Amino acid sequence: MTDAKKLQGDKLTEAEAIERAKQGDGEAFQFLYNLHKRRVYSLCLRMTGNTASAEDLTQEAFLQLFRKIGTFRGESAFSTWLHRMSVNVVLMQLRKKSLPAVPIDETMEGEDEGTVRKEPGAPDGRLAGAIDRLQLKRAVDELPPGYRTIFVLHDVEGYEHNEIAGMVGCSIGNSKSQLHKARIKLRELLRMNRAEKAATGRTGKR
Amino acid sequence: MNCFEFERVLPDCLEGGHTAELQAHLNSCSACASLLADLNFISSQARLLQDSEDPSPVVWNLLELQLRREGLIRDGEIRESAPARSSLVDFFRRRRAVWLVPVAAALAIAAGIKLYWPTGIGDTNPVARVAAPTPAPPLPTEDQQLINTVAVRFPSQQAKYRKNLEDANSYIRDAEQSIRNDPNDVYSQQLLINAYEQKQMLYDLAVNRIGEQ
Repeated sequence: MTDAKKLQGDKLTEAEAIERAKQGDGEAFQFLYNLHKRRVYSLCLRMTGNTASAEDLTQEAFLQLFRKIGTFRGESAFSTWLHRMSVNVVLMQLRKKSLPAVPIDETMEGEDEGTVRKEPGAPDGRLAGAIDRLQLKRAVDELPPGYRTIFVLHDVEGYEHNEIAGMVGCSIGNSKSQLHKARIKLRELLRMNRAEKAATGRTGKR
Repeated sequence: MNCFEFERVLPDCLEGGHTAELQAHLNSCSACASLLADLNFISSQARLLQDSEDPSPVVWNLLELQLRREGLIRDGEIRESAPARSSLVDFFRRRRAVWLVPVAAALAIAAGIKLYWPTGIGDTNPVARVAAPTPAPPLPTEDQQLINTVAVRFPSQQAKYRKNLEDANSYIRDAEQSIRNDPNDVYSQQLLINAYEQKQMLYDLAVNRIGEQ
């Protein structure tokens, strides 16, 4: 997380922009928005998997931030404050939609998530070097909402399990368990995607 | 250690717990080694998804509009009357506009677009030049008439009505200036409509109070 920083060619620092924003300076608000929009939007997009929702939530996160900017005293990094607010905005939205931020049950019924099905004779090809960021992004979008939340907060955004547990309202053990299941699920999705592409490639060559 | 046991300890392994027994199993089992490598790869690549995309420009446009509506953006100028403007907006939002508002606003927007739309290089139409902001002018005749009426009927309210009318007119001038600067500015057009609504509501309030006497 960054503290006050100077953008190349800009005369304004983040700290200066914050003080000017408190005075109602529109340019200062826009400066702060441009500085942090990518991080906030990417977070919202990864957690919702939906562009329209992500834009709405981005707007809401910044709106809540700017309404409260007068109370910011600099005890923590501005970006930390904004990021936490963004996470809370998304989690509230997920709760409103009755989508579980975390799967309710530690163990899933029916299909045994979290264990790896060994396919005898299956190829041992590793994912490294075989998938790109776009494929990973799409696979994350396909994750069930609860898994996606934990995966995004931990592996993408870097929160620790104790922080996630506090934000989401689950136990640390639950957070670890769901993260593991999310990664297993992602592996399945990526391997399926790779197998489909390989099959398409073989078909195309005929 | 067999594969089943390996899967049980796999979450801890990913968190950094790596025993000699586990390593021995990995050395002998390519499937488990591949699984561990894939999960580590997924975790490491996940960071690349951070800061990866930008929202559309519409997000800022809508955000700015809302910030202006709430009085949080005050055009970079410290205005001590800003809280009054916010309360003015909240106050007028309790009323609805009448026929005068959309007509006035539409005429103002159309005039702004017609007068200030650049017709081409070398356009020397003096009307097309953007006027510099001027100090607050005296109240228009109809506004002054309203103030005079309020002064007679409700003397204690005269100062308040005058202040509110001056604020509404200032709001209108700001929105009109924004449209002159950019005739395609959709949210400034909306701001102008809102400003006229607010002024109309002030008239409604005065008229209603007079009618109740």
